[in-house]
Amino acid sequence: MTFLINIAFKNMFRNKLRTIVSILAIAFAVMVIVFTRGLIDGMIGDTYSLYIHYDTGHIKIIDEEYEQKEKLLSLNYTVKGLENKSLSEMQADLSEMEGIEMVIPRLKFGAAVSTEEELVQMLAWGVDGAKELKFTNLERELSQGRMVEPGQREVVMGSELLKKINRSVGEKVTMVYTTAFSSFQGATFEIVGEIQSNLPLLNEQVVFMPIDTAQNLLYLNDEATELLLVTEDRELAGEFLPQVRNYLSQGGGNNYLAQSWKEGNTFIQLLEVSETIYNFIYLFLVLLSSIVVINTLVMIVKERTQEIGMMSALGLKSREILQLFILEGSAMALIGSFLGALGGGALNYYLAGVGFDYSAAFEDIDVLMNPVIYPTYKVEHMLFAFAIGVVVTTLTAIIPARRAAKLEPTEALREI
Amino acid sequence: MSLIKLTGLEKIYQQGKIEVPALRGIDMEIESGEFTTIFGPSGSGKTTLLNMIGCLDKSTAGEIVFDGHSINDLNSKELAEVRRYNLGFVFQSYNLIPVLTAFENVEFAIRLIDKHSKKERRDKVMSLLEEVGLGDMADRRPNELSGGQKQRVAIARALIKEPKLVLADEPTANLDSETSKEVLELMKEMNEELNTTFIFSTHDPQVMDYARRLIEIKDGKISKDQRRD
Repeated sequence: MTFLINIAFKNMFRNKLRTIVSILAIAFAVMVIVFTRGLIDGMIGDTYSLYIHYDTGHIKIIDEEYEQKEKLLSLNYTVKGLENKSLSEMQADLSEMEGIEMVIPRLKFGAAVSTEEELVQMLAWGVDGAKELKFTNLERELSQGRMVEPGQREVVMGSELLKKINRSVGEKVTMVYTTAFSSFQGATFEIVGEIQSNLPLLNEQVVFMPIDTAQNLLYLNDEATELLLVTEDRELAGEFLPQVRNYLSQGGGNNYLAQSWKEGNTFIQLLEVSETIYNFIYLFLVLLSSIVVINTLVMIVKERTQEIGMMSALGLKSREILQLFILEGSAMALIGSFLGALGGGALNYYLAGVGFDYSAAFEDIDVLMNPVIYPTYKVEHMLFAFAIGVVVTTLTAIIPARRAAKLEPTEALREI
Repeated sequence: MSLIKLTGLEKIYQQGKIEVPALRGIDMEIESGEFTTIFGPSGSGKTTLLNMIGCLDKSTAGEIVFDGHSINDLNSKELAEVRRYNLGFVFQSYNLIPVLTAFENVEFAIRLIDKHSKKERRDKVMSLLEEVGLGDMADRRPNELSGGQKQRVAIARALIKEPKLVLADEPTANLDSETSKEVLELMKEMNEELNTTFIFSTHDPQVMDYARRLIEIKDGKISKDQRRD
């Protein structure tokens, strides 16, 4: 076998240009796979995190009706506890459950601030500041000041929102809103922090305030529009879901809906499907590049027919001739895949720091996606692309190699 | 016991619906150590006969006994085994592997047998290359050798595994007369020194002059079988 490997390797250099073209075709396909996987992983991973942080948690509990009215920021379908338990008691029970690490209440409602030119509308989120800092990446996004603290009439806003209302940290702002009893009211808050984020939701739309303050203003004592549960591992959220649902139904909370982050959002479901589709696209890409290798090997078999006849005459078995040509294809696959994986890895390593600005493409799309995508640099992606490059190309090399192995020695020797 | 015994050997090629007989009942015996030439006009069946003896092709009828064993019923894998261990080939167009050096080309045949250590292999190949006059050209690739030198490498490749039989299909066809003479002298020397059986197919009268036995083929049949002392 060693001598077959030696010959196969040396044979690669018989027509250097042709070999280089074949290797480059594989390298390009593998590089595209590494890059695409890094890009998709960066985009999807980041998008999953954003949805989990700012929409679904690992498990989200809402009122059944609220699911339909969420966009309207309705205050008529809140989570207000169970038959014999207040929301606070319900939160305490849930946080005691196995696998649940944190319970985060949010009270979302619409608010507006009047400036000289216009009425600036915003999404007000009553939150537990400490928990939000722990769960989300808000700490990193806070460019000035601090997060809101319980019991205070204070808010944290995005920098764009602050610009729109001509305010800055330390100043006061008066907001108008509609209470749970549909009465129109106003209140003044101190701006204690500014958020600087790539995410339009945080930068331009949301205003954070302490949840107890929001509950008082809206007359929704100990109520929230949603409860987010954080589990040990987001991939295991589905496993803890039955016990949560069981707890809700036993406590008379049949009107509540508990959904894992994967169930609760159609966009996430779409991304999951797209991940599978991308795997087929990777395969297709390598198959395409393999055509170059097949073509090269077909030409090689044609050119070396007499040589195959000679080898056969010397006693090389069909299996060994098959191996010889597969080895030649594999050698090209190995070199091409290695170079491609390395190139793709280097590209991702660079782009992971710089990122891709997609803001223009996302301008009018209502999805929770970071407009700057940072491809991930992972050795795992390089290994995956390398393996797929080597395996698929080697398998496709069997086609021309079989042709060589099937040649009758007398026919082959007659060929000029 | 003869090294090769052919009895009623026939070969018919199918060309579409037409049957073309290439060999029409060949009976022949070749003893160990013979230096035999098969000659005849083009299309007479020389190469077909050589292919049959060389286990490269199967007969349509008749029997081939090689070294006491009938090879008629062997499958392609078993025939490859027979070629690997017992036969050497010398071709008209040398058929050396261009990416391998003279040394590696000769070594290739012995590596298939795989019963020698690396050092044994090296010594054996080098001593044979020296014997064929190419000891100082072992590292050259075929494109750095003349036609005669290439054919010497091919002869060394055929002989390295000490086969019972070497088949040479028009070995001098691409060589000038001086080089042909050198190559034939070499094969004759090897035949006498190693007692290896040689069978040639040729048109070349020079080759026939060297043969100790001349077999003429016409229309797929032996028309003359002449031994010389």
